[in-house]
Amino acid sequence: MTEPSVRIRNLSVDYGDTVALSDVSLQIARGGRLALIGESGSGKSTLAMAIAGMLPRQAHVSGSIEFPDLDRNATPGRKPKLGKDIGVLFQDPGGSLDPVMKIGDQIAEVIMTHQGMGWISARVRAAELLDRVRIPKALSRLNNYPHEFSGGQKQRIALAAALAGHPSLLIADEPTSALDTVVQWHIVNLLDELVRESGLTLLFVTHDIALASERADKIAVLYRGKLVESGPSARVLGKPEHPYTKALIGAHISLETPRGRRLAEINGDDLV
Amino acid sequence: MPPLASFFLRRLASALPVLGVVLIGGFLLLEAASGDAVDSYVARSGALDAEQMAQLRTEWGLDQGPLYRFKAYASALVQGDLGWSTAFERPVGTVILERLPVTLLLMGCATALAFFLGSLLGVIAGARPGSIGDRVLSIGSLALYAIPGFWLGLVLIVIFAVDLRWLPIGGIETIASGKSGLARLGDIAVHLVLPVASLAMVYLALYLRLMRDRMSEIWRDPFVKALEARGIARRRIVWHHVARNAVLPVVTMLGLQAAAMLGGSVVVESVFAIPGFGRLAAEAVARRDTPLLLGVILCSAITVIIANLLVDLAYGKLDPRVRAGR
Amino acid sequence: MILWRQLNPEGRAGAVLLATLALMALLAPLIAPGDPLALAGEPMLRPFASASHPLGTDRLGRDVLSGLLYGTRTTLLVAFFSAAVSLSVGSAVGTLAGFLGGIADTVLMRITEAFQTVPGFLLALAAISVTGPSIPTMIFAISLGTWTQAARVTRAEVLSLRERDFVAAARTLGMRPLEIAFREILPNAFGPTASLAAISVAAAILIEAALSFLGFGDPNRVTWGSMIAEGRTVLRAAPYLSIVPGLALVVTVLSVHLLGRGLSKTERLQP
Repeated sequence: MTEPSVRIRNLSVDYGDTVALSDVSLQIARGGRLALIGESGSGKSTLAMAIAGMLPRQAHVSGSIEFPDLDRNATPGRKPKLGKDIGVLFQDPGGSLDPVMKIGDQIAEVIMTHQGMGWISARVRAAELLDRVRIPKALSRLNNYPHEFSGGQKQRIALAAALAGHPSLLIADEPTSALDTVVQWHIVNLLDELVRESGLTLLFVTHDIALASERADKIAVLYRGKLVESGPSARVLGKPEHPYTKALIGAHISLETPRGRRLAEINGDDLV
Repeated sequence: MPPLASFFLRRLASALPVLGVVLIGGFLLLEAASGDAVDSYVARSGALDAEQMAQLRTEWGLDQGPLYRFKAYASALVQGDLGWSTAFERPVGTVILERLPVTLLLMGCATALAFFLGSLLGVIAGARPGSIGDRVLSIGSLALYAIPGFWLGLVLIVIFAVDLRWLPIGGIETIASGKSGLARLGDIAVHLVLPVASLAMVYLALYLRLMRDRMSEIWRDPFVKALEARGIARRRIVWHHVARNAVLPVVTMLGLQAAAMLGGSVVVESVFAIPGFGRLAAEAVARRDTPLLLGVILCSAITVIIANLLVDLAYGKLDPRVRAGR
Repeated sequence: MILWRQLNPEGRAGAVLLATLALMALLAPLIAPGDPLALAGEPMLRPFASASHPLGTDRLGRDVLSGLLYGTRTTLLVAFFSAAVSLSVGSAVGTLAGFLGGIADTVLMRITEAFQTVPGFLLALAAISVTGPSIPTMIFAISLGTWTQAARVTRAEVLSLRERDFVAAARTLGMRPLEIAFREILPNAFGPTASLAAISVAAAILIEAALSFLGFGDPNRVTWGSMIAEGRTVLRAAPYLSIVPGLALVVTVLSVHLLGRGLSKTERLQP
């Protein structure tokens, strides 16, 4: 077994009175795809942001998050750099882009920051990235502004920007829940492809148990700030151990929801 | 037609009703003022007896109804005839054109100073909302915002012209200095320092506050979090993203403040004895020269409309969303 | 008192300063050393030099402290009534425009725009040139240039209010349109408009001071602007004669802004 990409030990996060995460230990395998599932307020987004190092300043954190990959090729214990080591993709595609800057420049500035390239070569690289995320006629659209793209396209552009610094870990926080089903499917396929092609480690946060079961090798289930269950997708979904996981799956199957419907809409109130 | 030209024409056309209202208001002012054109003619060219004056009134159509007088007044204006200034004994249009460039120079410099320095300080305050620098700048700008420009002008004169003798006390250039070319420009620039500073400070404070408040809102916008997640340096986020977005309402405000600044130049020009358009307004009132006052009002309305048009053009350049919608 | 508790320190400072100024204005005849227009002593007495003229005397020997105290009256009187007139006229025009819509709206907004296009200070000058200087004409002249903002804000608010339930209810009850506009809509639309009060008062103070400074004020009253103008003639010898009344202006405007900011929770309304 190779070293994991991320190793989390006894991580707890609280904001004064409210506890967001308590005593979570988890490993993410290099090149693996881990789905964090749970309903709103379960702490899954807090965990994702803790790994990214983007918790608000008032959060109290204890425990450790290690990145063995980083230790190996640089000074031990160095903190991962956002954009260069870790890419983050957020839920709201419109809110990820500066409304008054050309999308080419928004991607190029990430490349210039992390790759040390000049402006011209960064723009060329930006066009390549846009092409990779399937923006048609990428080169000619570098000078367009975010409002000239659809929601799904904006999310692709945000993905291109998140990947522009060549991170080895991509954290996607509900990357598709603001999009409609068909667009969701395209984005998820694209993420899949990128992970396979470039050996990226993917951590995605989702409400959607169907999505998790299809696209993740491993699933971690969070409930009220605690990690209640984790393991290979087939095992967690096939033989759930924790009653909460059972309830999640049960709700999903019993209602025969079409794939892609959000979980929290179905059972959020019953369980909390 | 090129889009820019058609934009200009459309904007001018939409300004016509507004100018029409200003014109009617001006006519009412003329009617309300004591004395008519014949009285002022008599005042400048010597005594006429009552019979001659009545004859002249018939000749000029002044004995007709107000509607007729309005038509005469409007058609003269449309032909570019602003009337006769009784105080200066010259056509109103000529007097105004002589005085306007100085005021435009003064306003241009003051706007530039207020906008650049104000938004620069606004960025410094808005870069870290709630920091000590922010608080100092916010309180300072509030105090600055309360200072009347003409009084500031006097204080600056006391300090820099009377005590320190660094700068001239007034005027727009040294009289009969015989300077030309660059030397003359330098002379004018030296004379402009204090008036520009007095006129600009209020607006500087206003733009500072606006920039700062808008920036502190934009920091909460989700795209800033996304930029941080991409590892963009904080300095770059401040200047290229947050400040860049926050400058848009400041630019809008530039247009809204054009009229106020023109009004402010009336007093500041009086303080510094600058022979400009603003002081002309004060002179017109002091010397009971209603046609001149009316000309000044009409020209200032046109100046404000053009200033707003320029600001709209600049805004279109700065905000891609507006550009697309036009 | 509830209001006091809600105010932040800035707002409280403004309230205390304004209350002091109002008190000075009310008690001017009692606390002032004398008639501000009377030649009370030796001309050009420096401040703190004489006990009977604590702030000195001007070029003609008029007492500066008396002028300052009586000037507070003019300033506050003109500022308060100008703001009241411009807010009520503005909100009436805004309510009519927003409620009537159609041609009435277009015409009223064109007129508003025209007033905004001409600098307010020039409008005031023009009005004074016709009416001559006195307190009421001054109030009228200043309001001419400051009512437009209230009109725009009220109109925008009315447009958003007029489709609401209570307006529909008033219609069913058979209220006449204008009755609805002024009895149901205007009171509800007035909140945002009232937050313009501080800006209007501050603007009125500054316009009044500038008009008096240029010599277009009521010659029979002392104003801070006319004191500054008076001091200007001896600026080299006695700069304090211009500086002191100017400081009073700055303090007054500043306290209005402080109180205004304290009252409006949303800071952006107060630039």
